Amino acid sequence: MKDIVISRLNELVNELAKEEEKKKAWEDFLVDFAEVCEKADFKEKLKTSIINLLNHVNEKELSDGIGLLHEKIDNFPAVDVYKALIEVLGEKNKENLAKIAELHDVLAELSTPIIQLWEDVLLVPIIGTLDSQRAQNMVEKLLESIADTRAKVVIIDVTGVPMIDTIVGEFLIEMFSAVKLLGSDVILTGIKPEIAHTLVKLGIDFKMVIIKRDLESALKYTIKQFEEGKEIKLDKNRGKNRGDAGEN
Amino acid sequence: MMNYQNFKDIDINVHDYDIVLKIKDENDISVARQMAKSFAQKHNFSLADVTKIATAVSELSRNIYRYAKEGYIYIKKKETEPDKDISIEIIAYDRGPGIENVERAVAGGYTTSERSLGLGLAGVRRLMDSFYIMSEVGKGTIVVAEKRRRKF
Repeated sequence: MKDIVISRLNELVNELAKEEEKKKAWEDFLVDFAEVCEKADFKEKLKTSIINLLNHVNEKELSDGIGLLHEKIDNFPAVDVYKALIEVLGEKNKENLAKIAELHDVLAELSTPIIQLWEDVLLVPIIGTLDSQRAQNMVEKLLESIADTRAKVVIIDVTGVPMIDTIVGEFLIEMFSAVKLLGSDVILTGIKPEIAHTLVKLGIDFKMVIIKRDLESALKYTIKQFEEGKEIKLDKNRGKNRGDAGEN
Repeated sequence: MMNYQNFKDIDINVHDYDIVLKIKDENDISVARQMAKSFAQKHNFSLADVTKIATAVSELSRNIYRYAKEGYIYIKKKETEPDKDISIEIIAYDRGPGIENVERAVAGGYTTSERSLGLGLAGVRRLMDSFYIMSEVGKGTIVVAEKRRRKF
């Protein structure tokens, strides 16, 4: 087998590929193959060669190539080579899945930035759609940050949220209640007009928190409250406070 | 608007629908919402109505996922006459546990789930122009809702 492959190396390589780079890759593969094909654990040894080859040709070309070799060479161990190939692809797939899982974790961290905007003021910009997993992570991270920084005001900005349905609404309400249990006030900003209408239809109101048009007015409001040395009051004084901010 | 007297009368022909989606895990909810959104956008619904349709689909598929575990969302464009105004019809169909007290569920504020406001179905009814529900305990639930395109 070894001798046959080596003696017909050029002929085989020319049939296997046209581009120089791929020819070279197939040549390396065939030399490796000839080297190991008579050894006992040849399938394991061949895996490395297959990985190298896959850097230069795609799966289809590799599979076609093995078919061609099977035709051209008597007793070519196509089954073993395919087995090795499947195992290699399986390992590759496993690596990819692990990478995706890793990226998912990275995304979960990236997607919940909590920014200390000012002394005692935290900003939480929520971006994208919220699924239960992300929502859970976000609340946990936010509550920890509030406890660490002893923030008095948390501004939650939903400009980047494309849609608020009841589940996202529920999640926000839960988050507001938890934040308030820690003794901080919540200002909600960035509700888009089309979302406002949908929220009304759904019967969700966020009356437990202060709502400001955008981040700018939320900041102005907060600063004004701090300057006047007042704690931000909800309940009865809420209307008055809003009026105060409006004069700014 | 479809009306079913009995659960066994339900006969949905998938070929009549532009979008047919199986809901079986949480990711399918976002997929359904995205598809409904782009479908409504493609047919020139206003931004507010696109959001309403997407939200309604999100609520309906959430209900399927939460209570029935598995079911289908069907979406189609309805056109009575050519060049007349069109509407989008959404059907949510599952063979889940069914709803015991449909009136209460649709009235809002009623839920069997702990972490829920119980606003979903009532919300869908208000978001859409027409709304029909039939549910039979042990058999399943079907919701048919429609939104007309408004002229500007």
